Amino acid sequence: MRTITLHDYKLRMLRVLVHIQKHLDDPLALEELARLACFSPCHFHRVFKGMVGESVKEHIRRLRLERAASHLKLSAAPVTHIAFDAGYESHEGFTRSFRAAFGLSPSQFRRSKKRKTATAAPSGLHYGHGTAVREFKTTRPRDRSMKVKIEHREPIHVAFMRHVGPYGEVGATWDKFLPVLGKEGLLGGDSLFIGICHDDPEVTPPDKVRYDACVTVDESFQPAGDIGVQVIPGGEYAVTTHFGPYQKLGETYTELLGQWLPRSGHELRATPCFEVYLNDPQSTDPEDLVTDIYAPVQSEPGFTNLTSKPNSKGNSRK
Amino acid sequence: MKTQQKLDLYKLHKAEYAATRKPALVELQPATFLAISGQGAPGGERFTASIGALYGVAFTIKMTRKFAGGQDYSVCKLEGQWGSESAQDFAKLPRDQWLWKLLIRTPDFIGEEDLRQAVAVLLKRGKGKAVKSVRLETLAEGPCIQMLHVGPYDKECETIAVMKAFAEKQQLQFSGKHHEIYLSDPRRVAPERLKTILRQPVRQS
Repeated sequence: MRTITLHDYKLRMLRVLVHIQKHLDDPLALEELARLACFSPCHFHRVFKGMVGESVKEHIRRLRLERAASHLKLSAAPVTHIAFDAGYESHEGFTRSFRAAFGLSPSQFRRSKKRKTATAAPSGLHYGHGTAVREFKTTRPRDRSMKVKIEHREPIHVAFMRHVGPYGEVGATWDKFLPVLGKEGLLGGDSLFIGICHDDPEVTPPDKVRYDACVTVDESFQPAGDIGVQVIPGGEYAVTTHFGPYQKLGETYTELLGQWLPRSGHELRATPCFEVYLNDPQSTDPEDLVTDIYAPVQSEPGFTNLTSKPNSKGNSRK
Repeated sequence: MKTQQKLDLYKLHKAEYAATRKPALVELQPATFLAISGQGAPGGERFTASIGALYGVAFTIKMTRKFAGGQDYSVCKLEGQWGSESAQDFAKLPRDQWLWKLLIRTPDFIGEEDLRQAVAVLLKRGKGKAVKSVRLETLAEGPCIQMLHVGPYDKECETIAVMKAFAEKQQLQFSGKHHEIYLSDPRRVAPERLKTILRQPVRQS
Protein backbone atom coordinates (compact mmCIF):
# COMPACT_ATOMS: atom_id res chain seq x y z
CA MET A 1 0.00 0.00 0.00
CA ARG A 2 1.35 3.43 -0.86
CA THR A 3 2.18 5.80 1.96
CA ILE A 4 0.51 9.11 2.48
CA THR A 5 2.62 12.09 1.49
CA LEU A 6 2.64 15.78 2.20
CA HIS A 7 1.31 16.16 -1.35
CA ASP A 8 -1.79 14.11 -0.46
CA TYR A 9 -2.40 16.26 2.57
CA LYS A 10 -2.06 19.40 0.49
CA LEU A 11 -4.50 18.16 -2.15
CA ARG A 12 -7.06 17.45 0.52
CA MET A 13 -6.53 20.79 2.21
CA LEU A 14 -6.86 22.53 -1.17
CA ARG A 15 -10.44 21.29 -1.44
CA VAL A 16 -11.20 23.05 1.80
CA LEU A 17 -9.39 26.21 0.77
CA VAL A 18 -11.21 26.38 -2.58
CA HIS A 19 -14.52 25.80 -0.83
CA ILE A 20 -13.84 28.64 1.61
CA GLN A 21 -12.96 31.04 -1.22
CA LYS A 22 -16.20 30.16 -3.01
CA HIS A 23 -18.42 30.39 0.05
CA LEU A 24 -17.00 33.32 1.93
CA ASP A 25 -20.46 34.55 2.86
CA ASP A 26 -21.81 31.26 4.13
CA PRO A 27 -21.52 30.12 7.69
CA LEU A 28 -18.73 27.59 7.28
CA ALA A 29 -19.13 24.82 9.81
CA LEU A 30 -15.95 23.11 10.84
CA GLU A 31 -17.49 19.63 10.48
CA GLU A 32 -18.47 20.37 6.91
CA LEU A 33 -15.01 21.64 6.01
CA ALA A 34 -13.42 18.62 7.66
CA ARG A 35 -15.64 16.26 5.66
CA LEU A 36 -14.65 17.91 2.38
CA ALA A 37 -11.07 16.91 3.01
CA CYS A 38 -11.79 13.57 4.66
CA PHE A 39 -10.29 14.78 7.93
CA SER A 40 -11.73 13.65 11.19
CA PRO A 41 -13.60 16.66 12.64
CA CYS A 42 -12.00 16.23 16.04
CA HIS A 43 -8.53 16.91 14.65
CA PHE A 44 -9.30 19.14 11.68
CA HIS A 45 -8.81 22.55 13.31
CA ARG A 46 -5.31 21.64 14.43
CA VAL A 47 -4.30 20.15 11.09
CA PHE A 48 -5.62 23.25 9.33
CA LYS A 49 -3.80 25.67 11.60
CA GLY A 50 -0.57 23.75 11.38
CA MET A 51 -0.66 23.50 7.59
CA VAL A 52 -2.10 26.88 6.66
CA GLY A 53 -0.48 28.86 9.46
CA GLU A 54 -3.72 30.42 10.75
CA SER A 55 -6.92 29.05 12.21
CA VAL A 56 -10.00 28.52 10.03
CA LYS A 57 -11.61 31.50 11.70
CA GLU A 58 -8.58 33.74 11.16
CA HIS A 59 -8.32 32.59 7.55
CA ILE A 60 -11.94 33.40 6.74
CA ARG A 61 -11.72 36.72 8.53
CA ARG A 62 -8.60 37.71 6.64
CA LEU A 63 -10.07 36.77 3.25
CA ARG A 64 -13.18 38.79 4.03
CA LEU A 65 -11.07 41.82 4.94
CA GLU A 66 -9.04 41.46 1.75
CA ARG A 67 -12.26 41.30 -0.21
CA ALA A 68 -13.50 44.43 1.57
CA ALA A 69 -10.27 46.21 0.63
CA SER A 70 -10.76 45.33 -3.00
CA HIS A 71 -14.42 46.48 -2.89
CA LEU A 72 -13.29 49.79 -1.40
CA LYS A 73 -11.02 50.32 -4.38
CA LEU A 74 -13.24 48.97 -7.12
CA SER A 75 -16.73 50.05 -6.07
CA ALA A 76 -18.44 53.15 -4.74
CA ALA A 77 -20.45 51.23 -2.16
CA PRO A 78 -20.72 52.92 1.25
CA VAL A 79 -18.25 51.72 3.85
CA THR A 80 -21.11 50.52 6.08
CA HIS A 81 -22.30 48.16 3.32
CA ILE A 82 -18.82 46.85 2.79
CA ALA A 83 -18.43 46.35 6.54
CA PHE A 84 -21.66 44.40 6.63
CA ASP A 85 -20.57 42.25 3.67
CA ALA A 86 -17.35 41.50 5.51
CA GLY A 87 -19.39 40.05 8.34
CA TYR A 88 -19.15 42.97 10.77
CA GLU A 89 -22.17 44.25 12.60
CA SER A 90 -20.72 47.62 13.40
CA HIS A 91 -18.73 50.19 11.47
CA GLU A 92 -16.37 50.52 14.46
CA GLY A 93 -15.56 46.84 14.62
CA PHE A 94 -14.83 46.78 10.91
CA THR A 95 -12.67 49.92 11.09
CA ARG A 96 -10.65 48.45 13.97
CA SER A 97 -9.96 45.17 12.18
CA PHE A 98 -9.28 46.89 8.89
CA ARG A 99 -6.80 49.29 10.44
CA ALA A 100 -5.03 46.40 12.17
CA ALA A 101 -4.65 44.62 8.82
CA PHE A 102 -3.90 47.53 6.47
CA GLY A 103 -2.63 50.31 8.73
CA LEU A 104 -5.30 52.72 7.43
CA SER A 105 -8.98 53.22 8.12
CA PRO A 106 -11.32 51.99 5.34
CA SER A 107 -11.99 55.51 4.02
CA GLN A 108 -8.32 56.48 4.19
CA PHE A 109 -7.52 53.30 2.29
CA ARG A 110 -10.12 54.14 -0.36
CA ARG A 111 -8.58 57.60 -0.91
CA SER A 112 -4.98 56.42 -0.75
CA LYS A 113 -2.81 55.34 -3.65
CA LYS A 114 -2.33 51.96 -2.00
CA ARG A 115 -3.40 49.23 -4.36
CA LYS A 116 -2.36 46.13 -2.55
CA THR A 117 -5.34 44.35 -1.05
CA ALA A 118 -3.37 41.36 0.21
CA THR A 119 -2.22 41.11 3.80
CA ALA A 120 0.60 39.04 5.21
CA ALA A 121 -0.22 35.33 5.19
CA PRO A 122 2.15 32.42 5.74
CA SER A 123 0.23 30.32 3.22
CA GLY A 124 0.47 32.90 0.43
CA LEU A 125 -3.29 32.52 -0.10
CA HIS A 126 -5.36 35.61 -0.76
CA TYR A 127 -8.84 36.65 -1.66
CA GLY A 128 -9.51 36.48 -5.37
CA HIS A 129 -7.84 33.17 -6.00
CA GLY A 130 -11.30 31.61 -6.06
CA THR A 131 -11.28 28.20 -7.65
CA ALA A 132 -7.86 28.96 -9.08
CA VAL A 133 -6.26 27.99 -5.77
CA ARG A 134 -3.75 25.40 -6.89
CA GLU A 135 -1.00 25.67 -4.34
CA PHE A 136 -0.26 27.09 -0.94
CA LYS A 137 2.79 27.21 1.28
CA THR A 138 2.72 24.92 4.26
CA THR A 139 4.23 26.37 7.38
CA ARG A 140 7.69 24.98 7.93
CA PRO A 141 8.23 23.30 11.25
CA ARG A 142 9.60 25.86 13.71
CA ASP A 143 11.82 23.31 15.27
CA ARG A 144 12.60 20.67 12.71
CA SER A 145 13.94 18.42 15.40
CA MET A 146 10.52 17.88 17.03
CA LYS A 147 10.91 14.48 18.62
CA VAL A 148 8.01 12.17 17.87
CA LYS A 149 7.85 8.45 18.44
CA ILE A 150 5.19 5.99 17.38
CA GLU A 151 3.94 3.99 20.32
CA HIS A 152 1.44 1.18 20.56
CA ARG A 153 -0.90 1.54 23.55
CA GLU A 154 -3.34 -0.93 24.97
CA PRO A 155 -6.78 0.54 25.72
CA ILE A 156 -6.58 2.68 28.88
CA HIS A 157 -9.33 2.40 31.51
CA VAL A 158 -9.88 5.72 33.23
CA ALA A 159 -12.18 7.31 35.77
CA PHE A 160 -13.01 10.84 34.67
CA MET A 161 -14.80 14.01 35.56
CA ARG A 162 -16.12 16.17 32.73
CA HIS A 163 -15.30 19.87 32.74
CA VAL A 164 -17.45 22.17 30.63
CA GLY A 165 -16.12 25.71 30.50
CA PRO A 166 -12.98 27.69 29.75
CA TYR A 167 -9.91 25.52 29.23
CA GLY A 168 -7.96 27.67 31.65
CA GLU A 169 -10.26 26.62 34.48
CA VAL A 170 -9.85 22.84 34.28
CA GLY A 171 -7.78 23.04 37.47
CA ALA A 172 -10.98 23.50 39.47
CA THR A 173 -12.32 20.20 38.10
CA TRP A 174 -9.09 18.39 39.01
CA ASP A 175 -9.38 19.93 42.48
CA LYS A 176 -12.81 18.38 42.86
CA PHE A 177 -11.95 15.08 41.20
CA LEU A 178 -8.66 14.05 42.82
CA PRO A 179 -9.76 14.20 46.49
CA VAL A 180 -12.65 11.84 45.71
CA LEU A 181 -10.27 9.30 44.14
CA GLY A 182 -7.49 9.94 46.63
CA LYS A 183 -9.48 9.11 49.74
CA GLU A 184 -10.42 5.78 48.13
CA GLY A 185 -6.78 4.84 47.63
CA LEU A 186 -7.04 5.20 43.86
CA LEU A 187 -4.00 7.46 43.46
CA GLY A 188 -1.19 4.94 43.65
CA GLY A 189 2.29 5.82 42.48
CA ASP A 190 1.61 4.32 39.07
CA SER A 191 -1.61 6.27 38.35
CA LEU A 192 -1.54 8.28 35.14
CA PHE A 193 -3.11 11.73 35.05
CA ILE A 194 -4.64 12.28 31.63
CA GLY A 195 -6.50 15.14 29.96
CA ILE A 196 -8.76 14.85 26.92
CA CYS A 197 -9.82 18.08 25.26
CA HIS A 198 -12.84 17.48 23.02
CA ASP A 199 -13.18 20.97 21.59
CA ASP A 200 -11.00 23.64 20.11
CA PRO A 201 -11.04 26.66 22.39
CA GLU A 202 -10.68 28.82 19.28
CA VAL A 203 -13.86 27.52 17.70
CA THR A 204 -16.10 26.50 20.56
CA PRO A 205 -17.37 29.26 22.85
CA PRO A 206 -15.33 29.14 26.09
CA ASP A 207 -18.33 28.18 28.23
CA LYS A 208 -18.98 25.11 26.04
CA VAL A 209 -15.47 23.64 25.78
CA ARG A 210 -15.51 20.01 27.00
CA TYR A 211 -12.53 18.53 28.76
CA ASP A 212 -12.19 15.24 30.66
CA ALA A 213 -9.89 15.03 33.68
CA CYS A 214 -8.92 11.33 33.81
CA VAL A 215 -7.01 9.02 36.14
CA THR A 216 -6.16 5.41 35.27
CA VAL A 217 -8.16 2.82 37.23
CA ASP A 218 -8.66 -0.92 36.91
CA GLU A 219 -11.77 -2.52 35.50
CA SER A 220 -13.36 -3.00 38.92
CA PHE A 221 -13.88 0.75 39.36
CA GLN A 222 -17.56 1.66 39.56
CA PRO A 223 -18.72 5.06 38.28
CA ALA A 224 -20.57 7.17 40.84
CA GLY A 225 -22.00 10.68 41.00
CA ASP A 226 -20.25 12.94 38.51
CA ILE A 227 -17.37 10.52 38.08
CA GLY A 228 -17.68 8.37 34.99
CA VAL A 229 -15.62 5.64 33.37
CA GLN A 230 -14.33 5.52 29.82
CA VAL A 231 -11.82 3.56 27.81
CA ILE A 232 -9.28 5.48 25.76
CA PRO A 233 -8.96 3.38 22.59
CA GLY A 234 -5.76 1.44 22.10
CA GLY A 235 -3.69 1.41 18.93
CA GLU A 236 -0.87 3.41 17.45
CA TYR A 237 -0.14 6.88 18.76
CA ALA A 238 2.32 9.54 17.69
CA VAL A 239 3.80 10.84 20.94
CA THR A 240 5.70 14.02 21.59
CA THR A 241 6.62 15.84 24.80
CA HIS A 242 5.56 19.39 25.56
CA PHE A 243 7.83 21.34 27.91
CA GLY A 244 6.44 24.40 29.68
CA PRO A 245 3.15 25.96 30.69
CA TYR A 246 -0.16 24.25 29.90
CA GLN A 247 -1.32 27.44 28.16
CA LYS A 248 1.14 26.66 25.38
CA LEU A 249 0.05 23.05 24.82
CA GLY A 250 -2.03 24.21 21.84
CA GLU A 251 1.10 25.26 19.96
CA THR A 252 2.64 21.82 20.35
CA TYR A 253 -0.59 20.13 19.20
CA THR A 254 -0.64 22.37 16.13
CA GLU A 255 2.96 21.55 15.34
CA LEU A 256 2.43 17.82 15.80
CA LEU A 257 -0.80 17.54 13.81
CA GLY A 258 -0.29 20.27 11.24
CA GLN A 259 3.42 20.14 10.56
CA TRP A 260 4.90 16.85 11.66
CA LEU A 261 1.94 14.64 10.68
CA PRO A 262 1.57 15.61 6.98
CA ARG A 263 5.24 14.79 6.49
CA SER A 264 5.17 11.58 8.52
CA GLY A 265 3.33 9.16 6.22
CA HIS A 266 0.60 8.73 8.84
CA GLU A 267 -3.10 9.38 8.93
CA LEU A 268 -5.08 10.39 12.02
CA ARG A 269 -7.66 8.05 13.47
CA ALA A 270 -11.05 9.45 14.45
CA THR A 271 -10.50 9.18 18.19
CA PRO A 272 -9.43 12.09 20.38
CA CYS A 273 -5.89 13.10 21.22
CA PHE A 274 -4.96 12.99 24.87
CA GLU A 275 -2.27 14.41 27.11
CA VAL A 276 -0.47 12.80 30.06
CA TYR A 277 0.70 15.14 32.82
CA LEU A 278 4.04 13.95 34.15
CA ASN A 279 4.44 16.36 37.01
CA ASP A 280 2.36 18.09 39.64
CA PRO A 281 1.45 21.65 38.62
CA GLN A 282 1.03 22.58 42.29
CA SER A 283 4.68 22.09 43.12
CA THR A 284 6.23 22.73 39.70
CA ASP A 285 7.00 26.04 38.03
CA PRO A 286 5.03 26.41 34.77
CA GLU A 287 8.29 26.48 32.79
CA ASP A 288 9.27 23.08 34.21
CA LEU A 289 5.99 21.27 33.48
CA VAL A 290 6.31 18.20 31.28
CA THR A 291 3.37 16.78 29.30
CA ASP A 292 3.26 13.94 26.77
CA ILE A 293 0.85 14.48 23.88
CA TYR A 294 -0.68 11.42 22.18
CA ALA A 295 -2.22 11.67 18.70
CA PRO A 296 -3.97 8.53 17.39
CA VAL A 297 -2.48 7.52 14.02
CA GLN A 298 -2.44 4.74 11.47
CA SER A 299 -0.01 4.22 8.68
CA GLU A 300 -2.55 3.17 6.02
CA PRO A 301 -4.64 5.79 4.27
CA GLY A 302 -8.08 5.89 5.84
CA PHE A 303 -9.69 6.95 2.59
CA THR A 304 -9.53 5.76 -0.98
CA ASN A 305 -10.01 9.02 -2.85
CA LEU A 306 -6.88 10.67 -1.56
CA THR A 307 -5.43 11.66 -4.87
CA SER A 308 -8.58 12.72 -6.66
CA LYS A 309 -8.70 16.38 -7.64
CA PRO A 310 -10.60 18.97 -5.66
CA ASN A 311 -14.13 18.31 -6.77
CA SER A 312 -15.78 21.46 -8.05
CA LYS A 313 -19.17 19.80 -7.87
CA GLY A 314 -18.58 18.71 -4.34
CA ASN A 315 -20.22 21.69 -2.69
CA SER A 316 -23.33 20.59 -0.97
CA ARG A 317 -24.84 24.03 -0.53
CA LYS A 318 -25.79 26.61 -3.08
CA MET B 1 -14.88 28.11 53.97
CA LYS B 2 -12.81 26.48 51.27
CA THR B 3 -10.97 29.64 50.28
CA GLN B 4 -8.00 28.92 52.55
CA GLN B 5 -4.60 29.64 51.06
CA LYS B 6 -2.88 26.49 49.86
CA LEU B 7 0.19 25.71 51.94
CA ASP B 8 3.46 25.41 50.03
CA LEU B 9 6.22 24.31 52.41
CA TYR B 10 9.04 25.17 50.01
CA LYS B 11 7.75 28.73 49.74
CA LEU B 12 7.11 28.95 53.46
CA HIS B 13 10.68 27.86 54.20
CA LYS B 14 12.19 29.69 51.29
CA ALA B 15 15.59 30.20 52.87
CA GLU B 16 16.01 26.41 53.20
CA TYR B 17 15.40 25.80 49.49
CA ALA B 18 16.94 28.87 47.87
CA ALA B 19 20.12 27.32 46.51
CA THR B 20 22.24 28.87 43.78
CA ARG B 21 25.31 27.64 41.94
CA LYS B 22 27.42 29.13 44.73
CA PRO B 23 27.75 27.22 48.01
CA ALA B 24 26.07 28.75 51.05
CA LEU B 25 25.74 27.94 54.73
CA VAL B 26 22.11 27.55 55.80
CA GLU B 27 20.45 26.62 59.09
CA LEU B 28 17.79 23.91 58.78
CA GLN B 29 14.92 23.76 61.24
CA PRO B 30 13.49 20.35 62.19
CA ALA B 31 11.09 19.20 59.47
CA THR B 32 8.59 16.37 58.96
CA PHE B 33 8.90 13.96 56.03
CA LEU B 34 7.25 10.89 54.62
CA ALA B 35 10.15 8.52 54.11
CA ILE B 36 11.00 5.12 52.68
CA SER B 37 14.41 3.46 52.90
CA GLY B 38 16.24 0.82 50.96
CA GLN B 39 19.50 -0.37 49.51
CA GLY B 40 20.64 -0.62 45.92
CA ALA B 41 21.20 1.26 42.71
CA PRO B 42 19.00 4.25 41.90
CA GLY B 43 16.63 3.25 39.09
CA GLY B 44 16.51 -0.36 40.28
CA GLU B 45 13.26 -2.23 40.82
CA ARG B 46 13.15 -1.65 44.56
CA PHE B 47 14.00 2.00 44.15
CA THR B 48 11.32 2.61 41.52
CA ALA B 49 8.65 0.79 43.53
CA SER B 50 9.60 2.88 46.56
CA ILE B 51 9.16 6.14 44.67
CA GLY B 52 5.70 4.98 43.56
CA ALA B 53 4.78 3.96 47.11
CA LEU B 54 5.98 7.23 48.59
CA TYR B 55 4.07 9.35 46.09
CA GLY B 56 0.98 7.16 46.45
CA VAL B 57 0.97 7.66 50.22
CA ALA B 58 1.73 11.39 49.94
CA PHE B 59 -1.11 12.03 47.49
CA THR B 60 -3.56 9.80 49.34
CA ILE B 61 -2.95 11.65 52.63
CA LYS B 62 -3.22 15.03 50.94
CA MET B 63 -6.39 14.23 49.00
CA THR B 64 -8.10 12.53 51.94
CA ARG B 65 -7.48 15.64 53.99
CA LYS B 66 -8.61 17.90 51.20
CA PHE B 67 -11.81 15.89 50.74
CA ALA B 68 -12.56 16.33 54.44
CA GLY B 69 -12.19 20.09 54.02
CA GLY B 70 -8.88 20.36 55.92
CA GLN B 71 -6.04 22.74 55.14
CA ASP B 72 -4.88 22.14 51.58
CA TYR B 73 -1.19 21.93 50.74
CA SER B 74 1.06 21.07 47.81
CA VAL B 75 2.84 17.73 47.77
CA CYS B 76 6.52 18.72 47.80
CA LYS B 77 9.20 17.45 45.48
CA LEU B 78 11.10 14.23 45.97
CA GLU B 79 14.21 14.39 48.15
CA GLY B 80 16.75 11.73 49.02
CA GLN B 81 19.44 10.95 51.56
CA TRP B 82 22.37 8.79 50.53
CA GLY B 83 24.99 6.87 52.45
CA SER B 84 26.57 3.49 53.11
CA GLU B 85 26.94 1.11 56.03
CA SER B 86 30.64 1.74 56.32
CA ALA B 87 31.92 5.20 57.07
CA GLN B 88 33.33 5.27 53.56
CA ASP B 89 32.22 7.79 50.95
CA PHE B 90 29.24 5.96 49.43
CA ALA B 91 29.86 7.31 45.94
CA LYS B 92 33.05 5.23 45.76
CA LEU B 93 31.25 1.98 46.64
CA PRO B 94 29.46 -0.28 44.16
CA ARG B 95 25.93 1.00 43.62
CA ASP B 96 24.28 -2.10 45.04
CA GLN B 97 25.73 -1.14 48.43
CA TRP B 98 24.24 2.34 48.40
CA LEU B 99 21.75 3.05 51.17
CA TRP B 100 19.04 5.52 50.35
CA LYS B 101 16.11 7.14 52.00
CA LEU B 102 13.54 8.80 49.76
CA LEU B 103 11.67 11.71 51.32
CA ILE B 104 8.74 14.01 50.68
CA ARG B 105 8.42 16.99 52.99
CA THR B 106 5.04 17.03 54.69
CA PRO B 107 3.24 19.53 56.93
CA ASP B 108 3.63 18.98 60.69
CA PHE B 109 -0.12 18.52 61.08
CA ILE B 110 0.08 15.18 59.25
CA GLY B 111 0.28 12.46 61.88
CA GLU B 112 0.62 8.69 62.27
CA GLU B 113 -3.14 8.20 62.00
CA ASP B 114 -3.19 9.91 58.57
CA LEU B 115 -0.36 7.62 57.46
CA ARG B 116 -2.03 4.48 58.82
CA GLN B 117 -5.31 5.27 57.04
CA ALA B 118 -3.61 6.03 53.73
CA VAL B 119 -1.56 2.84 53.80
CA ALA B 120 -4.67 0.79 54.63
CA VAL B 121 -6.71 2.22 51.78
CA LEU B 122 -3.86 1.80 49.27
CA LEU B 123 -3.33 -1.83 50.34
CA LYS B 124 -7.04 -2.49 49.98
CA ARG B 125 -6.82 -1.25 46.37
CA GLY B 126 -3.85 -3.50 45.66
CA LYS B 127 -1.44 -0.63 45.07
CA GLY B 128 1.66 -2.61 46.06
CA LYS B 129 3.03 -3.76 49.40
CA ALA B 130 5.83 -1.19 49.40
CA VAL B 131 3.44 1.38 50.90
CA LYS B 132 3.78 -0.50 54.21
CA SER B 133 7.40 0.68 54.45
CA VAL B 134 6.54 4.37 54.35
CA ARG B 135 7.24 6.16 57.67
CA LEU B 136 6.80 9.62 59.13
CA GLU B 137 10.13 11.09 60.23
CA THR B 138 11.56 14.30 61.55
CA LEU B 139 14.92 15.45 60.28
CA ALA B 140 16.87 18.04 62.24
CA GLU B 141 19.85 18.74 60.03
CA GLY B 142 20.96 22.02 61.62
CA PRO B 143 23.79 23.84 59.83
CA CYS B 144 24.26 22.66 56.24
CA ILE B 145 26.23 23.63 53.17
CA GLN B 146 23.88 23.86 50.26
CA MET B 147 24.41 24.37 46.53
CA LEU B 148 22.46 23.97 43.29
CA HIS B 149 23.83 21.28 40.99
CA VAL B 150 22.90 21.59 37.32
CA GLY B 151 23.70 18.53 35.24
CA PRO B 152 23.66 14.73 35.38
CA TYR B 153 23.55 13.02 38.76
CA ASP B 154 26.87 11.29 38.09
CA LYS B 155 28.62 14.68 37.90
CA GLU B 156 27.55 15.64 41.40
CA CYS B 157 31.06 14.95 42.75
CA GLU B 158 32.23 18.18 41.08
CA THR B 159 29.65 20.23 42.98
CA ILE B 160 30.37 18.32 46.19
CA ALA B 161 34.07 19.18 45.83
CA VAL B 162 33.18 22.89 45.68
CA MET B 163 30.99 22.48 48.78
CA LYS B 164 33.77 20.69 50.61
CA ALA B 165 36.31 23.42 49.86
CA PHE B 166 33.80 26.03 50.99
CA ALA B 167 33.23 24.15 54.26
CA GLU B 168 36.93 23.75 54.96
CA LYS B 169 37.53 27.45 54.47
CA GLN B 170 35.18 28.06 57.37
CA GLN B 171 36.64 25.34 59.58
CA LEU B 172 33.59 23.15 59.02
CA GLN B 173 33.53 19.48 58.16
CA PHE B 174 30.90 17.26 56.55
CA SER B 175 28.92 15.42 59.19
CA GLY B 176 25.71 13.54 58.50
CA LYS B 177 24.00 12.21 55.44
CA HIS B 178 24.30 13.68 51.97
CA HIS B 179 20.87 15.05 51.06
CA GLU B 180 19.46 15.92 47.62
CA ILE B 181 16.32 17.72 46.51
CA TYR B 182 15.20 16.80 43.00
CA LEU B 183 13.84 19.90 41.31
CA SER B 184 13.66 18.36 37.82
CA ASP B 185 11.96 15.31 36.40
CA PRO B 186 14.67 12.92 35.15
CA ARG B 187 12.12 11.03 32.98
CA ARG B 188 12.04 13.81 30.39
CA VAL B 189 14.54 16.53 31.29
CA ALA B 190 17.90 16.15 29.54
CA PRO B 191 20.68 15.14 31.98
CA GLU B 192 22.65 18.35 31.39
CA ARG B 193 19.62 20.42 32.41
CA LEU B 194 18.69 18.50 35.58
CA LYS B 195 18.52 20.75 38.64
CA THR B 196 19.25 19.25 42.04
CA ILE B 197 19.85 20.99 45.37
CA LEU B 198 22.71 19.30 47.22
CA ARG B 199 22.71 19.62 50.98
CA GLN B 200 25.37 18.47 53.39
CA PRO B 201 25.10 18.81 57.18
CA VAL B 202 28.30 20.18 58.74
CA ARG B 203 29.83 20.72 62.16
CA GLN B 204 32.78 22.71 63.53
CA SER B 205 36.01 20.84 62.90
